[in-house]
Amino acid sequence: MKEEFLLGNGAIALGLLEAGCQIMTSYPGTPSSEILPEVVRFSKAANLNTSIEWSINEKVAFDNAFAAAISGKRAACCMKMVGLNVAADSFMSAAYIGNIGGLVIISCDDPGPHSSQTEQDSRLMARLGKVPVFDPTNPEEAREMIKAAFDLSEEFQVPVMVRPAIRVCHARQNIKYDKLESNLTKADFKREPTRWASTPKFRFMQHKALNEKHLKISVKFDSFAPFNMHTLEKGKSYPFGVVTGGVPSSVIQDMFEDYGRDDIPVLKLCAPYPFPEKLADEFMAACDKVLVIEETDTVIEYMLRDKRKTLGRLSGHVPMEGELVPEKIEGVLNKALSDCGLSPLSDHDCGQEAFELTGGLELPIRKPTLCPGCPHRASFYSIRKAMPKAIYPSDIGCYTLGINLGVVDTVLDMGAGITMGSGFWNAYIQDDVKKPIVATMGDSTFFHSGTTGLMNAVYNDSRFVLVILDNHITAMTGMQPAITQDKRVDGQKGNSISLETIVKGCGVEYLKVVDPYDTKAMIKMVKNAAEYAYGENGGIAVIIARHACVLGFMDQAIVEKIPVKVTDDCDECGFCHKRFECPALYVDVENKKTEINQTLCAQCGVCLNICPQGAIVRA
Amino acid sequence: MRTVNYVLCGLGGQGILFMTKIFAMTALNKGYNILGAETHGMAQRGGSVVSHLRIGKARSSLIRAGAADFLLSMDESEAYRYLPYLKKGGKLFTNAPSDKFPDERVAAYLEKQDIEPRAMEASKTAMDLGSPRSTNLAMVAFFSAFGFGPLNADDLRATVDNMSPGPFKETNLKIFDTCYETGRKMVNKLNIFD
Repeated sequence: MKEEFLLGNGAIALGLLEAGCQIMTSYPGTPSSEILPEVVRFSKAANLNTSIEWSINEKVAFDNAFAAAISGKRAACCMKMVGLNVAADSFMSAAYIGNIGGLVIISCDDPGPHSSQTEQDSRLMARLGKVPVFDPTNPEEAREMIKAAFDLSEEFQVPVMVRPAIRVCHARQNIKYDKLESNLTKADFKREPTRWASTPKFRFMQHKALNEKHLKISVKFDSFAPFNMHTLEKGKSYPFGVVTGGVPSSVIQDMFEDYGRDDIPVLKLCAPYPFPEKLADEFMAACDKVLVIEETDTVIEYMLRDKRKTLGRLSGHVPMEGELVPEKIEGVLNKALSDCGLSPLSDHDCGQEAFELTGGLELPIRKPTLCPGCPHRASFYSIRKAMPKAIYPSDIGCYTLGINLGVVDTVLDMGAGITMGSGFWNAYIQDDVKKPIVATMGDSTFFHSGTTGLMNAVYNDSRFVLVILDNHITAMTGMQPAITQDKRVDGQKGNSISLETIVKGCGVEYLKVVDPYDTKAMIKMVKNAAEYAYGENGGIAVIIARHACVLGFMDQAIVEKIPVKVTDDCDECGFCHKRFECPALYVDVENKKTEINQTLCAQCGVCLNICPQGAIVRA
Repeated sequence: MRTVNYVLCGLGGQGILFMTKIFAMTALNKGYNILGAETHGMAQRGGSVVSHLRIGKARSSLIRAGAADFLLSMDESEAYRYLPYLKKGGKLFTNAPSDKFPDERVAAYLEKQDIEPRAMEASKTAMDLGSPRSTNLAMVAFFSAFGFGPLNADDLRATVDNMSPGPFKETNLKIFDTCYETGRKMVNKLNIFD
């Protein structure tokens, strides 16, 4: 027996392997990114034969797992919740068709949002795709749920979703575990075209069969402790009860224990769909009013039928957006209890006075920023210098932070750097305006969903400059290898893909490669690219700005260390802070002078070329 | 045992996760249940980093505002930022010059909340002893001198000993012992006035 202080994502990984998951696919995205590397770690330590891959995107990950599951193996794919949007096409069909070996989809939600574009609730996607869903409260429960999810998936031949929220993924808990063993089930795909390749007529029948499965699962979920359960005492009625699930349910349980409130019954629904109707009815019948506290949307609240009894988001008691952090839940409970004429949990102001006090201290605003030495900073600086009047559609990754340098105008979703580039071109050219546009996209994002947009732009004769920021890695989510490198996640050799070949294969005629650390060369190159793009026989012009990530590749990224200093020629114009925004460049509070923080400085030397006064020099 | 709540905060790069690990591993060795919450992803690029650690039988990882027993901050501004998490009568430890802490604008609040602020120049001490990146364990040592909570100084020191890679062990333990002494002096001084 071993014990570890495991990350929630590690507990999920452990659960996957304990459940005998044989095939594991994923695309990184906060808060899901650590699951797959943890599967690799556990799998290697126990010498299991698990097949593990970083897929090129979430749809690819889903399909690979699905094929394994209909071959009889246990398979899982995991992603962040917006990644499930990318896999949605497959996801929506999967429950109709069903599976043989267990298929578990792990879609990690980010209420807050802390590191995402939306606060979407994956349980709603589960409902749309008619996929049963589990909603764990903490790492230990997530681990147990993964096993239950596989069992349910095999029992009913339907994919099952587990949606841990960020406070499960990035919580840590002490977890004990035994020796892991390989699942030796062999692939055995049995041809059955009416099922696996069903036409609409058969899809209708599959839909009907799926609905019947759901009725059965709903009944199963009625008595599905400890995931679904209530704390009612038989025959007793209550003025007020709480319906909850997922992370908030653990917060509420802890809080009721702290305040000694065993007079308030709780209905915990951590397997909320298909909805356990009988269990919910029983709870509703025993309570005069119920307050629904769930993250992030109104899944349970909509499914409770008696709206007159129900308090929650629809009644204005629970905020419609943002993470339900414990002090917020305490405030919600206090208000709802008072509204029902009952004594609140506490007379505590939930930190309000202190938050107001500290809010008034004008504490430093620490906005996210690119690392010192980051090659993206150099690229953004050059782009802005070369084409200051352009529209800058960009994309999702570390380089979204180019917004700080004024070189990111739009961020919609993965791939939209390119598709919005062509969209802007179309919108302006209709008015006979050749609008300058420089789109930016990282290498991983380009492979994830850039190529279709690029082919579309070439085919439809859009004109813009595309800069692909190639740092050889998926940096924001924790340094997952890019497919331009030949190393796979488990250390095996991969067949690397050439970015140049793909760009040319998309029909692009103009392609240049530059090291963005050479800002002079890059500025010139962007200008030339624009001349081509907007010229008589132009087209899409692509520049690959290639330089390794300074965090991911440490020593290789900065070959020649160049210490720098600021001379007295500095006239405090602020240009370097505004257009270069390196964390190592700061204004000293006492002498009001721009200085270099030598501890932070990566010694990349890029800033030597940016000061209008030439005041940044080699030290 | 009642759940004991630690909020640990500071700036990106100061090693909050390592600091959390020192407490967590010590608690694990003592056989306690532990739950923690960390900052990852884009939030991590933001500079302000916080970690929650709960020792006991809690089910949820986040500590609610007004419920932390201890707040340890490696930066003065971050100490103020996370101050709302500290409960009435909670203990506050900061890396700051002890004669300049706290800001006069929060002094009244601290007094009302019965929170006694304790500060030492942990990063300066760490730097003077040759390891500018060891503010984290300097703060752990300073805190441990006061004997608060279920983890005692010897156990915390043993964890630092175990977790420090060979070449850093000696410096790390020297920093630990020095900061522990600074804390002890503060305790003894208070005792005289008792």
